[in-house]
Amino acid sequence: MSHGQHYSERFCHQRLPEKPVGMESQHKHLLELLRRTAVHGESNSVLIVGPRGSGKTMLLNCVLRELLEVKDVNKNVLPVHLNGLLQTDDRIALKEITRQLNLENVVGDKVFGSFAENLAFLLEALKKGDRSSSRPVLFILDEFDLFAHHKNQTLLYNLLDVSQSAQAPVAVIGLTCRLDVLELLEKRVKSRFSHRQIHLLSSLSFIQYLDNVRSQLSLPQDFPDTKFYDEWNDSIKVRHFSSYPQLVDVLQRHYNSSKDFRSLHLLLMLALSRVSASKPAIKPTDLLEASRVCMVDSKANILHGLSILELCLIIAMKHLNDIYEGEPFNFQMVHNEFKKFLQRKSHSIHNFDKPVVMKAFEHLQQLELIKSMDSSTAKIQKEYQLMKLLLDHSQIMEALQKYPQCPTDVKQWAMSAFG
Amino acid sequence: MFVGLLLSRYLNMSVEGQEAVTTVTPGQYILIEGNDDEYPFVAKLLKFFGDESHKQKKALVQWFLRLSEVPQNKKLLLGRSPHPQEIFYYLGRACDNEINAESILGTVHVRQDNSPPGTKDTLYVKLSWDTKAFNVLDPVLMQDTPASTPPKPALPLFPPCASPTATPVSRGPVRRALPTPDPTVMRRAGSVSDTRATMSAGKRSTLEISANDLLLCLSQEWATLMGVGATKESELIMMDCSCLFPVGSRSYFIYLDVIFVVLLTCLPVLRLHVSSVPESLPCREQEFQDIYNFVESKVMDGTGGCMYISGVPGTGKTATIHEVIRCLQHASDMDEIPTFRFIEINGMKMTDPHQAYVQILQKLTDQKVTADHAAALLEKRFSNPAPKKETTVLLVDELDLLWTRKQNVMYNLFDWPTRRHARLVVLTIANTMDLPERIMINRVASRLGLTRMSFQPYSFKQLQQIITSRLNKVKAFEEDALQLVSRKVAALSGDARRCLDICRRATEICEHSASHPSSTGLVRMSHVMEALDEMFSSSYITAIGCASLQEQLFLRAVIAEFRRLGLEEATFQQVFVQHRALSRVEGLQPISVSEGLAVCQRLGACRLLLLEASRLDMLQRVRLNVSQDDVLYALKAVRD
Repeated sequence: MSHGQHYSERFCHQRLPEKPVGMESQHKHLLELLRRTAVHGESNSVLIVGPRGSGKTMLLNCVLRELLEVKDVNKNVLPVHLNGLLQTDDRIALKEITRQLNLENVVGDKVFGSFAENLAFLLEALKKGDRSSSRPVLFILDEFDLFAHHKNQTLLYNLLDVSQSAQAPVAVIGLTCRLDVLELLEKRVKSRFSHRQIHLLSSLSFIQYLDNVRSQLSLPQDFPDTKFYDEWNDSIKVRHFSSYPQLVDVLQRHYNSSKDFRSLHLLLMLALSRVSASKPAIKPTDLLEASRVCMVDSKANILHGLSILELCLIIAMKHLNDIYEGEPFNFQMVHNEFKKFLQRKSHSIHNFDKPVVMKAFEHLQQLELIKSMDSSTAKIQKEYQLMKLLLDHSQIMEALQKYPQCPTDVKQWAMSAFG
Repeated sequence: MFVGLLLSRYLNMSVEGQEAVTTVTPGQYILIEGNDDEYPFVAKLLKFFGDESHKQKKALVQWFLRLSEVPQNKKLLLGRSPHPQEIFYYLGRACDNEINAESILGTVHVRQDNSPPGTKDTLYVKLSWDTKAFNVLDPVLMQDTPASTPPKPALPLFPPCASPTATPVSRGPVRRALPTPDPTVMRRAGSVSDTRATMSAGKRSTLEISANDLLLCLSQEWATLMGVGATKESELIMMDCSCLFPVGSRSYFIYLDVIFVVLLTCLPVLRLHVSSVPESLPCREQEFQDIYNFVESKVMDGTGGCMYISGVPGTGKTATIHEVIRCLQHASDMDEIPTFRFIEINGMKMTDPHQAYVQILQKLTDQKVTADHAAALLEKRFSNPAPKKETTVLLVDELDLLWTRKQNVMYNLFDWPTRRHARLVVLTIANTMDLPERIMINRVASRLGLTRMSFQPYSFKQLQQIITSRLNKVKAFEEDALQLVSRKVAALSGDARRCLDICRRATEICEHSASHPSSTGLVRMSHVMEALDEMFSSSYITAIGCASLQEQLFLRAVIAEFRRLGLEEATFQQVFVQHRALSRVEGLQPISVSEGLAVCQRLGACRLLLLEASRLDMLQRVRLNVSQDDVLYALKAVRD
């Protein structure tokens, strides 16, 4: 089905939207700024700041697409994409810049010269340029904050220095989600940065959010099968939404938890994947089910897979936590607590040997449901290593409720301390 | 011949360990040991004499140059590719014409005629070089001068210029004055518009050919015109140009280009860009004068010295030095002071402090060697007496980054100027005033000396003056707006870059709102306020306001937990209990622990919260990165 492909492109961020939604002023500002560099050769630097999933990269890509549509600009502009997670130091970043500018073979007569040669060459190349004759270079630094951790911030200093002097026209565009990013810059680097920041902070209301969900789900105008197009788009009309208060509740919950597009796309993708050839329309139940999958606690599944013994140990730990107010415990304490339970209710559960209990305890540690508090260097016997439980009471109780064929005694034991 | 001689000399040295005996007499042309073994220096021996202590034998020489010794930027003046055996009679006077007799390698034949010599070991001379231009050599100079008469290196070949005895105090600022509109340019511009007028009357067909050249020269002149404020006229020229060229033709596009260039020069936005080089540097006259005097005296005396310049970023340190060098270079072009070389290195623009040697050597001699080798070569260069040495002015920017554990890079940089034959002036720049005391060990700090200067942050009056001078009398800002910018920046940092950036942004904002009917086209208070807001206002409060409901709730839970504990730190587990209670109060469905952690991580990624490593899961400690009052204020604003 071609609309399947259409949606996967949309939700997996493989295709840009026609127009960035809800960030018109930022779009205009950035476009104007980059146009000044691309067309007039005026160097600039700018930071795009916004929380994860707020559309920083999308905005930039939209602007670049629009910019590169101009024929002259397309031929001239050299975009260089760097990512702080990939270019973890300046040496790698420089190599990447030389590679993307197709200069590998020019540096020092070999594919890649030394780091020092590379830097000197690049600076020389940028210095020779001027605003009218050289091709503008757009440096796009994704995860900008990570570049600030490089030694001496050499790369940032040099890029920003070029952008502040009469050399080849460059634009330095940083993308980051840290609001305090300017505090990371060294004073000389900071002085050279133009202090232009574009903030992407969405103040989307719930009504707009719902509109968004609908527009994201609807098929584009140019969809070939008009009959299907009508049926599909009709099925996600407003009345369908409002007739399911449950559905609005679910979306409200998502909206409350996060407004970003990425989590919304995840939800919609899950809902869409339930559409098949035999069931060619999206139903509100699909969304409910998808939301349930999205919201599920990550540890709940692990807890369901535990044995009764392991579950008992966790309950013992919970009691210890209650008694000692969250102080760390060791295996011996847990084992004692477990034995006390066995003495009281010996008929309901098999009496395990200590090594077996130890094994179960170690398994819990491997699952990272408990975590050792000692530093690894200290040589302490396994039984006496101090541990902490990485579970909340609510998680334990919920797991017990859902655990298949859980002995009543165990359940009661777990409940008992609450009273 | 000299190759053979060289060989025998080397053979003798290596095999028998003694010098080959060569005899030279005054009047002969000799080869002198230089930096390059393959091409030794060439000179004519004038006379021998012993120095004061009679220990060393010295010689007086008249220098000849190979083309490779001519500065790179002047080589083109020759206008043709040189013959490899061609040399030039040296008419400059910056070079020492005394040499140690020991540095003489041997003799060489030099002829003066127009045809290149046939044999390989004969050099020929045709032109002379006076550090500015190549001239045909006066044959009289090549006559054998009696050894007793000292040569007159400074020949009055160039027209008499300002007297070299003029006091340096008057020199700098005078030369830096704004260029007055050149009457010839005005006249030429006028004549151009005349020609165009006649052309538009009839001959359109011939126009295509000349339009290109015409417009290219026009662009220059218009730019000048705009600079001096003749806006009206140039607008008129542009207007009647457009009816002249057929739309869409090649010349039309050139014409558009030209207009573009003109428009750019008059836009205040461009003048305000930090990169645009101002005609003069206002507010740094005293510093300029001090540095100028320092460098000039050293260049004049042929001695060396160090200077340390400090100041916070954006106070014009590097710009002032560049301006000084520009003026000095101009002075040396006018032959008021000896020629000198200017080299610049920047601690931030190298990967390792030892790369400083490599860069200095490369800029001095175009050689590419490793750091250790470069250090050795520089050491040799600066400690040995060498003929024809001109003063080197070395600017070391961002000095603090040249710090190494043993501090040998800094040590060398400050030690070389103290050598007798170094002729090296080192100007160093860093941000902190007490850098020598803080990071340098005694022997380095002592060599740096006490010639220090500190650039104070600009005061608001100075910043105002800087913007006004940049705008070059174009009225673009309202008086109050200008005041606001300069006062704000002066209070914050006194950084001129910041000031210019704000102004540039304000101009942009003003342009965008220019369509508004009430706007006067001037940048007003409101525009500046908007720009300041964009750049300096903390975004934390807006970020909290725009956060999702659960995120806001989590922040409230953090504060509630802090209050309960009486500490500014809590674990996620503790905060989450509060969070759950709060959502019950608010009537929201409680969220699961994983969702809670996700909310916490999102706040941590924005740095509203400071978190420990996420592998600690529920035990990670949470701190606020904003003050509690700010959070409460922001949350209150959301609710109202």
